[in-house]
Amino acid sequence: MGIVRQLQHWLGGSGPRIRVSDFVPSDHYLRLFADTFSWAEMVEAVERSMARRFPKESAAGRFPISTRVLLALELLKAELSCSDEQICSRLRTDFALMYACGIKDVQADVHQAHFVLPEVLCRFRSRLDDALMEELLQIQATAALDAGLVSPEHLVVDTYASEQGSQRVTDATTLYKAKKKSSPSSKKSRRNSTKRR
Amino acid sequence: MMRTFGRACRGARKVFLKVVRQTERELLEVGRDVGPLCLSAMLHLSEADRLTQTKREYLHEKLRCAAANYEPIQAQSRRLVNGKKLPHAKIVNAYDTSTTAIVKGKSNCPAQFGKKPGIIAEMATGLIYGLHLPQGNPDDASYMMPLLDKVNIAISKVQKKRKPRIVSVAGDLAFRDACLRNDLHDQGILTVGIPSTIDPVPAIPTPEMIRAVQAQFHLGKIPSATKVKTAYACGYSRPFVESLIETLSCRGGTRIKYKGHTGAMVQLTMAILAHNAATLVRIQQGRLTKRAQKVRRFFRLKPPNPLKNNGPKNQ
Repeated sequence: MGIVRQLQHWLGGSGPRIRVSDFVPSDHYLRLFADTFSWAEMVEAVERSMARRFPKESAAGRFPISTRVLLALELLKAELSCSDEQICSRLRTDFALMYACGIKDVQADVHQAHFVLPEVLCRFRSRLDDALMEELLQIQATAALDAGLVSPEHLVVDTYASEQGSQRVTDATTLYKAKKKSSPSSKKSRRNSTKRR
Repeated sequence: MMRTFGRACRGARKVFLKVVRQTERELLEVGRDVGPLCLSAMLHLSEADRLTQTKREYLHEKLRCAAANYEPIQAQSRRLVNGKKLPHAKIVNAYDTSTTAIVKGKSNCPAQFGKKPGIIAEMATGLIYGLHLPQGNPDDASYMMPLLDKVNIAISKVQKKRKPRIVSVAGDLAFRDACLRNDLHDQGILTVGIPSTIDPVPAIPTPEMIRAVQAQFHLGKIPSATKVKTAYACGYSRPFVESLIETLSCRGGTRIKYKGHTGAMVQLTMAILAHNAATLVRIQQGRLTKRAQKVRRFFRLKPPNPLKNNGPKNQ
């Protein structure tokens, strides 16, 4: 995957710096939606789980995309019924989505097509597991109980059928496309680096 | 030669048996070598020093799954061609053996293929506390205890001196198992919300009914009359459950697109987390249904409505 395509906008950019929280209305649905999550705990749980299952062999390399952003994108994908490509493309222009992803400042750069690539989100998702999912749900439930918004005294249990749907764009296709897409950009970056030398 | 499969009321389908057998034979021949190849790959894997322990374990697990898949698929394939009845947990997807046929409460429609998740939710607003996604298609009653354990874990993490407790649980007729009822009573949980017949459970119990419920419990764990009344008032409601399923459906919780059991778990959990967040927004804004507001008053999460005569409820 090309390095240029993975660059995060908030690390670079030449335009004016905009504070996202000043832009998104305080009663915007996505702002309220994002504020209900206890992000710090959830991100910590994800990072702990990933560090245990996929330990980093080397400290070299660029900083990864923040877990907070990827986790929020995955949640927003469910809330807004979007595909990977749609949610990643919306993140580039939608300030409410940026707020929900925890992005505080944006330094716009018109040449930057993506903030987060669909294949990065796809890779992140492939690293999630059952135990982690249960933990995230438990964190949310405990936070709601702690806030006194709900009561666990009287509960209802039920099952429902969840059909196996066909996925037109599979994770494998996204990753395959990414390899094909990245080849020209990686060639370009390689060419640039050789020129500089 | 043609053979008819399926029940007539669900639209029986005719199949060219010869074509099925021919295809099956070819596929089984291809798959026969998978087992020995996996074993030899495992041997090579144990000798590979360049791979990390995590990577080796991951590949070992994949190979083990691949080697184990052939036998059940072969056995099932032969039974299907001979026209025998399939066992309970039948394989319908070779790449994901946890996907099964779900024939649940349907009489005149095609059987669904997929997974059968179980959810446990709050009675008032529908906040979902836990999700249980078993392999295959087990009995509904087996969902109860794992789901209650999830709620208990969430309660144990609450940072309050006086921790809340599960008082009652409601469910449909599928949960009417006597053993399950006894297990719940042993934990001090009321089961008045689980019907034992098709007759509807009354919303307001008579004093005799309250005494009968209290008599089911051992000494020291007897629930108060108010708790029994609240449990009756919060009895199982199909429209409420359907509304939960519908909101999950809007968030992609009823059509699994990610691959495998873990993929299904990720997709369903994300749908539930999004649903819960939307529910919390509604609670904070006070945008709740009349029913939810009423039940929240029973739970003392909301002050009583002064414009209404609350006399009969407090008797």
